[in-house]
Amino acid sequence: MWEQCRSGLRTLSDVRAACDDLGVTVPVLECTALTRRFGERVAVDSVSLTVHAGETYGLLGPNGAGKTTTIRLVCGLLRRDEGTITVAGIPVDENALDAKARIGFVPQDVALYPDLTCRENLEFIGRLYKLRGRKLGRRIDEVLAIIDLADRRNDRVDSFSGGMKRRLNIGAGLLHHPALLVLDEPTVGVDPQSRHAILESVQSLGREGMAILYTTHYMEEAERVCDRVGIIDRGRLIAEGTRRELVSRIEEHDRIELTASGDLVRFERAAREIDGVDGVSVQGAEVHLLARDARRVLPTVLEVAEHSGARVRSVEVVEPDLEAVFLHLTGTALRE
Amino acid sequence: MRAAVVIATKDLRQRLRDRSALTIGLIAPLAVAALMSFAFRNADTFHMNVGVVVQDRGELASAFRAGLSGPELRDLVSVHVVADPRTAAKQVRDRTLDAAFVVPVDFTRRTLAGLPAEIQVLSSTNARIAGQVASAIASSFAAQVNADRLSVATAMAAGSPSARLDALESAATQLRIPEQAVNHPTGAKQLKTISYYAPAMAIFFALFSVGFAGRSFFAERREGTLDRMAAAPLRPSTILIGKVLSVFVYSLASMLTVVGISGLFFGADWGGPTGVVALCVAMSLAIVALSALVIVFARTEQQVQALGSIIVFTLAVLGGNFITVSAEPALMRHVALLTPNGWALRGFLDLATGARSAGNLVQPVVSMLIFAVIVGGIAIVRSRRVLSP
Repeated sequence: MWEQCRSGLRTLSDVRAACDDLGVTVPVLECTALTRRFGERVAVDSVSLTVHAGETYGLLGPNGAGKTTTIRLVCGLLRRDEGTITVAGIPVDENALDAKARIGFVPQDVALYPDLTCRENLEFIGRLYKLRGRKLGRRIDEVLAIIDLADRRNDRVDSFSGGMKRRLNIGAGLLHHPALLVLDEPTVGVDPQSRHAILESVQSLGREGMAILYTTHYMEEAERVCDRVGIIDRGRLIAEGTRRELVSRIEEHDRIELTASGDLVRFERAAREIDGVDGVSVQGAEVHLLARDARRVLPTVLEVAEHSGARVRSVEVVEPDLEAVFLHLTGTALRE
Repeated sequence: MRAAVVIATKDLRQRLRDRSALTIGLIAPLAVAALMSFAFRNADTFHMNVGVVVQDRGELASAFRAGLSGPELRDLVSVHVVADPRTAAKQVRDRTLDAAFVVPVDFTRRTLAGLPAEIQVLSSTNARIAGQVASAIASSFAAQVNADRLSVATAMAAGSPSARLDALESAATQLRIPEQAVNHPTGAKQLKTISYYAPAMAIFFALFSVGFAGRSFFAERREGTLDRMAAAPLRPSTILIGKVLSVFVYSLASMLTVVGISGLFFGADWGGPTGVVALCVAMSLAIVALSALVIVFARTEQQVQALGSIIVFTLAVLGGNFITVSAEPALMRHVALLTPNGWALRGFLDLATGARSAGNLVQPVVSMLIFAVIVGGIAIVRSRRVLSP
């Protein structure tokens, strides 16, 4: 069978069938050592990841970590300096157009034509992906049902609310039944209700078997919708796994969240010296500490705060989560 | 190619919903052409009011007065008899008259006696052409008189008896100078003002679509829709072709609509439809090439705006869309032929006057196509650097 795979199999369905026989699943997206430089700065540094059918893979990292650049490399919007990308078994270098046809791209900003109607926008984008006639019409109806905009199909997009535009933005990426859906921070600037609806849709698409690459800097989103998470910081993928696998790295740790005022810089410096504190991050009035056995360390933390000139207004001890993992790995908080 | 048509169709749909595009593409060229035709309506047939002060009672003065009202000048001048030179000068200054002639006392006697005599021409600096025409009329009369005198003198010198002097003089006045300048226009029809300004404005406003494509391109980049197109299975060149294809359709539709409406409602002569369509298509292709050039050289929407305006107004001035090329210096007439709109305008005017048939439009059409190929070629070479990821 392996010989057959190497010698005679050419089409995607051939490869899939052969792999099914072997019990091997072909990743829908496979990136190996992706690298992109902008001058001296390395925006994406040797990132490797795979996403399988039915899997939602989250790229979690703060702003400027390299999430969007990675996505633009995957979607062919940026030329990579090094590395390989395979989409649904198709090497992008050999057949970029076929590979692109299997990707649904949902950009971070709403990328729609405000002077066209909802339906006209979908028709245009569908036609770019070679959908025509009844097939296109049927697919538009299906997508409008998914994003719950069927009753607004003939309204101009400039009359939509921000949340509706976001949903349509996602719908435009789904039209051609992509094997891989790439979503770049789809909930930024969205009201809670629309955000919930978007996350529901993403989970539903994952359950239906679509491979999803999802970038976010919201830890809660990554925890809710992603089967696996890759933590990216300064262009490098520093950890990868399921939520359970990642959190298990810091099982002994809790996260202490303080709200404080006063000399927080001095407090941050002093807190790093406390035995049992493995990471400290200050964002505005919020101080995050990664601590072993938080309940034991907490009195010392409060004492150090007082001595440093910081006035603590509230304290919360949080169970280990991805935020704590990020703090553990990078020494900074996700939203810095 | 299909994807390019999809992109062009979308762009055209957006443009149709944009009232400013309709205004520039259709309403403005017709309105400006109609206004300019109205403003210059008298330029089709030059006519002037002249005054004549006849202080001499002799036969030459009478002949001059009669000549002014004769059939040769009837379409050119309207003659008004004025009492004295001072009144005539005042009326010229007041622009009641465009020019005036003063035939002084003893003009006939002095002329026949071989003494210096002159017809004064009163003209205004505000009506220079009228002054030049009036001087030409007076000079022509003087030339005729001199010719008569010369012929009589020649006859006498050849031995004709003095008794026949009166008869000779009478015969001489019946003669005309044999060499006359006769105007033979190369076109079968005279060019009407609207037939000049309708194509001039149709081309000028079609040139504005050079900026439309660029602005649309950069707006798509700003809004992220260009990324969405680039993420689709399309070659980068397909996006550029789609963008400029919409420019082709828009500019062609704009020019042909102006042709139709100005011909039907404003009386513009356009000549045969085949030639008009050929010129419109060639001009639209040149505009397409310019649009592509702007897209690949500009880096921002502001640069598109600036570059587009520079191109439009430079070409319009050089190509003769504002001032008829025939009124410009020789150098500018040659420079006009470096512009596609200069060639298009020349083709349209030749068609309108019948100087050139549709079959003879090869030169202007090929010239515009060469322009389109050169400019489009530069844009294509540059597009690989600009549009590739």
